[in-house]
Amino acid sequence: MSIFEYNGSALIAMVGKNCFAIASDRRLGVQLQTIATDFQRIYKFHDRLFMGLSGLATDAQTLYQRLVFRHKLYQLREERDMKPETFASLVSALLYEKRFGPYFCQPVIAGLSDENKPFICTMDSIGAKELAKDFVVAGTASESLYGACEAVFKPDMEPEELFETVSQALLSSVDRDCLSGWGGHIYVVTPTEIKERILKGRMD
Amino acid sequence: MGIRAILSSHLPNGQFGRHSLCLAAVGREIMKLDTSGLESAASLFGASSELFDGFATAPSFELPVTNDFDGFQKEAIQMVKPAKGTTTLAFIFKEGVMVAADSRASMGGYISSQSVKKIIEINPYMLGTMAGGAADCQFWHRNLGIKCRLHELANKRRISVTGASKLLANILYSYRGMGLSVGTMIAGWDETGPGLYYVDSEGGRLKGTRFSVGSGSPYAYGVLDSGYRYDLSIEEAAELARRAIYHATFRDGASGGVASVYYVGPNGWKKLSGDDVGELHYKYYPVMPSTVEQEMVEVSGA
Repeated sequence: MSIFEYNGSALIAMVGKNCFAIASDRRLGVQLQTIATDFQRIYKFHDRLFMGLSGLATDAQTLYQRLVFRHKLYQLREERDMKPETFASLVSALLYEKRFGPYFCQPVIAGLSDENKPFICTMDSIGAKELAKDFVVAGTASESLYGACEAVFKPDMEPEELFETVSQALLSSVDRDCLSGWGGHIYVVTPTEIKERILKGRMD
Repeated sequence: MGIRAILSSHLPNGQFGRHSLCLAAVGREIMKLDTSGLESAASLFGASSELFDGFATAPSFELPVTNDFDGFQKEAIQMVKPAKGTTTLAFIFKEGVMVAADSRASMGGYISSQSVKKIIEINPYMLGTMAGGAADCQFWHRNLGIKCRLHELANKRRISVTGASKLLANILYSYRGMGLSVGTMIAGWDETGPGLYYVDSEGGRLKGTRFSVGSGSPYAYGVLDSGYRYDLSIEEAAELARRAIYHATFRDGASGGVASVYYVGPNGWKKLSGDDVGELHYKYYPVMPSTVEQEMVEVSGA
């Protein structure tokens, strides 16, 4: 198994009507052995910006700590929060800095930009940005996730419907992957509130 | 600019690159396997029994016609990647033999099926478990079933578990090093009582009272060994087996699906249960509604 599949992960971010949802699985493993079933993969940078990191867990944690540092400095200097598009460029630059010894992570960024328009993007491990209008996925179950999202996605979904859709797509995809699953963690973010939910999934 | 420019930048000489077709001279000689240890198998595969003057003319399997036999074998093995991703267990207790297994088939990280039958019914009083390559296990168990039936007809009595496991072990030993992946347990009830043997594709054969095979076996052993007593009742033994499989599916990524439990007694085997482990988890560890610190209430109006 490759280094990207060492810990196992699954991430989705999907766009709705003036809202977005970002969801992950909860398993941390060492190849086939499951170590933890409550691993945090999605991080909040501010109320309108979330990032999930899939891939090698140690690189994900280090990358997150680096980005939090840079974002806090930005907040101190500019006295405001970073826009999601700017943040995506920051992540991309940080990843490309390590072009010949990369972080083995694939980030998924989701946020609300100006006029409450949802913004999602993903990157490969050396910073190639992929902006999407509907959904982005990452992780060991990414092929299943693409299929599931493609099948259930509809444009302009309301937050409750978006939650149902993303949950179904995530759970059904991780049920086809040995290395991810063991529950789900989903944030549904609108301009006025953030709803965090834990999903009951198959624990095998 | 346009497509033409791109094409010409790829192939400066203007032609499509010539592929040099290496038609290696395919060796016409057929590799000869030593099948002297496989007499009975050879006669089963339709080779006429009159031709006993040359074993080499009655191979039991067709071999690939290739220059590099070892390399070809290695490639084939890597492609199939038998990883023994499974959990199976069996133990002998006062009332007989309890056999249990999960039902997941995985190819690397991908789950190819959640509903594989890993407990194979060799005959009405003998069971075999599957771990390793699914095709290998299915085929050789069925082959063993054929041999057992032939033994019954020839000797007018049932074959013992000792004999059946020996038959299988000898076959697997003769294919040693050729990439078969079989980690099986033969469980049955014969004249001497309950019998349990572990047989694998390296040629090993062990008699014992408790076995677990597969990537989830360490987790299953933990639960099985701590809960085992010889004088369990059938229900207690079934619950122990079920619990052991459930715990293995929880920790091991390559095990999951349905935990099947079979019991082998003096009258043959009987399937006791097949529970989905996803539901077993919430039965053993139900979700308690956590204490709510701040509850959001719907505000009527604006």
